[in-house]
Amino acid sequence: MCKWCMKHGAGGKWYLNARNYSNELAESMNLRAYLEEQWRNFEQVYIRKIMGISSIGLGYKLRMPIIGRLIRWSVERMIHSESPNRNPVRADGHFGQVIPIEEAELIMTNLAAEPIIKNYCMCRMMQKGVKDSCCINFGLLSGVIEKLPRFIPENTKVRMTREEAVEALEEQNKKGRVSTVWFQPVPYINAICSCEVPQCGGLRLRMDYGLYTVYKAEYVARVDPDLCQGCKVCVARCQFGAIWFSPTLGRVIIDLKKCFGCGLCRDVCRYNAIRLVPRDEVPGVRGEY
Amino acid sequence: MDKTKIKIDYSRCGNATGGIDPRTCSKCLFVCDPAVFVRHPAIGVEEESPNDPKYWQVTAVWLDLCIRCGKCVEVCPQKAITVSW
Ligand code: SF4
Ligand code: SF4
Ligand code: SF4
Ligand code: SF4
Repeated sequence: MCKWCMKHGAGGKWYLNARNYSNELAESMNLRAYLEEQWRNFEQVYIRKIMGISSIGLGYKLRMPIIGRLIRWSVERMIHSESPNRNPVRADGHFGQVIPIEEAELIMTNLAAEPIIKNYCMCRMMQKGVKDSCCINFGLLSGVIEKLPRFIPENTKVRMTREEAVEALEEQNKKGRVSTVWFQPVPYINAICSCEVPQCGGLRLRMDYGLYTVYKAEYVARVDPDLCQGCKVCVARCQFGAIWFSPTLGRVIIDLKKCFGCGLCRDVCRYNAIRLVPRDEVPGVRGEY
Repeated sequence: MDKTKIKIDYSRCGNATGGIDPRTCSKCLFVCDPAVFVRHPAIGVEEESPNDPKYWQVTAVWLDLCIRCGKCVEVCPQKAITVSW
């Protein structure tokens, strides 16, 4: 369990705590205006200023000796902010975690607040120019997004039943997308995304710049060397470059340090050779979210 | 290594000055494998409707991730992009 579980998990994982999904929580935090402001200006989040410095060319700026460390500190504080005066246009307090498909489905079935909608993935839209109605939002956020036509899929039903949401998640999993669950803003949970490297904004900041917008899953993948047939089907599924085929061993190897624990490799293995094991049971990656 | 610079000529791309609407083109976004570009409403127009085509722009945000493949320069129908270092 990560520190957000300690803080908002009520003894378990943060994203399995029903309170974090509740309308009461959203209302007590007075979140409607915040989310409206955040979503109206969504695509500008990467061109905003951080400490008065434009975030264009962020990677170069993070490498500057002293200023780079200050920027990193300041961005981390924004991402995880729980302060009452956090700024919606910078999406303060918006971060998430990778989850395997069974947990995403559990959330859709039991925890997500209605109404549930699907909308265009804004990351894929703003960084690839592609309209893909794969993001699932729920609770208070649904009504906010429904008022913003550019995120609303054409010629399709926007509101979904829980069963339809589960089907949509499975379809995305088959395509090779990683399920992620999001605080927006912490501790309110209102989205499950189906992410893809490199155009998912959260994964971009994590993988290219080491910023904690997305935490690794509570699990890591483990291959059973006796069961693996070396068919390599799983290799094509990994977004994180964590799994590859060893010609010497005739089977696949997983780099536990790189594995985000999404379970996509496991989901396609016909020989049940891959299992997800809790991260905290593996000494080398314990606590490494 | 020298820093990569990517310039976009907003008189050719971006409707504010009569160029084409980047929302209907977006070819640079699509061909760029490391996804360096971001398409967004111009900053400072929060009060206006984000659905107004006049306010849309493309910016090369993730400059350090550019692999200098030149595909965006080739694909741009408006010859609006220059990549240099
Ligand atoms: S899909 Fe399963 S059997 Fe095939 S290489 Fe991967 S782990 Fe081995
Ligand atoms: S190795 Fe498997 S579980 Fe780990 S990140 Fe890659 S696809 Fe996901
Ligand atoms: S040169 Fe290649 S990598 Fe760089 S921005 Fe253009 S398309 Fe992207
Ligand atoms: S390819 Fe050229 S015209 Fe098209 S959106 Fe990109 S910069 Fe604008």
